[in-house]
Amino acid sequence: MKRLQLQRWSSTALSPRVRTNNRLHQQLYSTGLRLQSTVSPLQSESAISENVEDASFQNPDAMRHIRRAHKRKTQLQYPSPPVEAATQSAKLAALHARLYLPSRLPLQTLARTLVDASADSNVDFNNESLATLGHDLLANYTSEHLICTYPRLPLSVTFAAMYAYVGPKTLAAISKEWGIDNATVPGGEVDPGFLQFQRVAPGTAVEDISQLKSARPYADQKNWRMTVSSKIFYDDEFGDAIKGSVALGQGVTDETARATFVRAVLGAIYLHAGRPAAKRFFEQHILSRHLNISELFNFSQPARDLARLCARENFEAPVAKIVSETGRKSRSPVFVVGIFSGQDKLGEGSGSSLMEARERAALSALKGWYLYTPINPRVPSSMEEEGAAPWKPAHIDLGELLPTEDG
Amino acid sequence: MPDIVKPLSHVPYGKKFGLDTSSCGRCIGQPVIFDFRAIATMAASITMPKRPFLTLPFLLPSLTESLSIGAVRHQSSYRRTKQRLRVKPDASFGPSQQGRDQIIYNPPSSAPSVYHTPSKFLPANDVRRVMRPAAAATATADVNELPSVYKTQPERKYHLTPEDVEEIRKLRLNDPMTWSRYSLAKKFECSPLFIAKVCGASPEKKAIQKQVLEAVQSRWGPKRRMAREDRKLRREAWGRDE
Repeated sequence: MKRLQLQRWSSTALSPRVRTNNRLHQQLYSTGLRLQSTVSPLQSESAISENVEDASFQNPDAMRHIRRAHKRKTQLQYPSPPVEAATQSAKLAALHARLYLPSRLPLQTLARTLVDASADSNVDFNNESLATLGHDLLANYTSEHLICTYPRLPLSVTFAAMYAYVGPKTLAAISKEWGIDNATVPGGEVDPGFLQFQRVAPGTAVEDISQLKSARPYADQKNWRMTVSSKIFYDDEFGDAIKGSVALGQGVTDETARATFVRAVLGAIYLHAGRPAAKRFFEQHILSRHLNISELFNFSQPARDLARLCARENFEAPVAKIVSETGRKSRSPVFVVGIFSGQDKLGEGSGSSLMEARERAALSALKGWYLYTPINPRVPSSMEEEGAAPWKPAHIDLGELLPTEDG
Repeated sequence: MPDIVKPLSHVPYGKKFGLDTSSCGRCIGQPVIFDFRAIATMAASITMPKRPFLTLPFLLPSLTESLSIGAVRHQSSYRRTKQRLRVKPDASFGPSQQGRDQIIYNPPSSAPSVYHTPSKFLPANDVRRVMRPAAAATATADVNELPSVYKTQPERKYHLTPEDVEEIRKLRLNDPMTWSRYSLAKKFECSPLFIAKVCGASPEKKAIQKQVLEAVQSRWGPKRRMAREDRKLRREAWGRDE
């Protein structure tokens, strides 16, 4: 990994008197006790002030003690760590280096991404705005990747794949892989390298926290059927109902806070280092995760669906033929059945009964249809790169098979 | 006896079970050798074996040795094993291919990947559509020669008129106990599936049928119940391709 140039962090965003070239060094040798703890020790305040009165002002140790006590007092006023504490935190610098973040992203902004709105309600100091931007970027990049790579993917599978790539569970897992620890209680004196948020009180039902904010008419009718395509219009990028913001003082779950943090990091990268860096970060941290999309399918009637697909596309009706078999009269036979349309094989499957092999063959044929990938698929956002080749329209399919009512 | 060298580009994975009765070789090697030894010792002691060797051609190592096999008595089993395992190398390794540059691609027998879109499913403007047929034409045998999954093909008559359909609906609605799906199918010479497509059962009939099913299921013991549940779960697993 390339070594980070620490001097460059200060050049853009920091005030001129703050020099960071030896801050990391200082932090390592004169670590304050406070910055290491994740809890604010309010009880010890009185004890320290007594010590200060006894000490002589000439003593440099005592002076340092006094300064630190004053600093702590001011820090305790704030709900989240002050901006200048960011450069003092070894944890933040390590996180910056570990994620190989662009050097244009200052430590102060990275510290801000770690402050959840439940910890600090001031929008100038929490990560809400960054997370909103990051969330939109994530949804945009992932959906365009999925739609351009697999243009025939059914909508429900697209939703599932979106959830698998950028769902809150995945983002929380990513933040854990990055080595983010939670602060036990948020506060101004806590090391800014910890994720700060107010936890939900134990025993609270998670559904009650965020009230529903769906624009869907008759959203409260739980028994009514919702079409999959209506989810594009009314619901979020995972096909779930849009949640409202959490009420003040309620706290958030660990998963939500971590997901918000990861989104905020992407938003911060976009703001400080620009679109190419954000795209690269997305590819390295999100798209690089392995997702086998063929496992997201679940068919109830694959043979019937395949027959309808062939009728729609004007292919010959699919015919199941036995390619090979063994042990037909034995306890554990194996049949290999191929599905053919005319002379072309559409799919092949094996099973311990002819019906199973046929179903599996029809399933593999359907998956072969749905998982079609154009050669070298390009996404619309690739046109924003410098010197991009002229845009060729992406493949747009007729659409998935719609379920019928008659069963 | 035909050799087992297959075309390269397509290795159907059913072959790994040694399903071809004509192929001699690698997969069914072990049990065959065992039988051969047993029958060979038997042939040494008894002059008239019950089954002559020539009716069991798979027992013989190869065509050249088939005549002298009865005469050779103390043949080493080790050598026979080696001979069985000596499979002819694939055609792509042959001397005819040596002169020019080539890619040797011998895929292991496995299920085809679902990410490999069949040529028929490629859009009209896809380049792979033109690139593939040359390779695919050699690999596929005639589809019509393959046996069907079903013993008999369903005969489609298309003989029912809209009036017949009306009649079916009327009968099923008015007297659902007499005119079940199967009796209607018999009367109108169509499939029960067609009856189900044309009209659904009335709610009363559904309720009665549900009670009948519950009565039947209440007599099931734990073994049968569990077996039925397992069967249902297995069936659902097909759809997820597990």
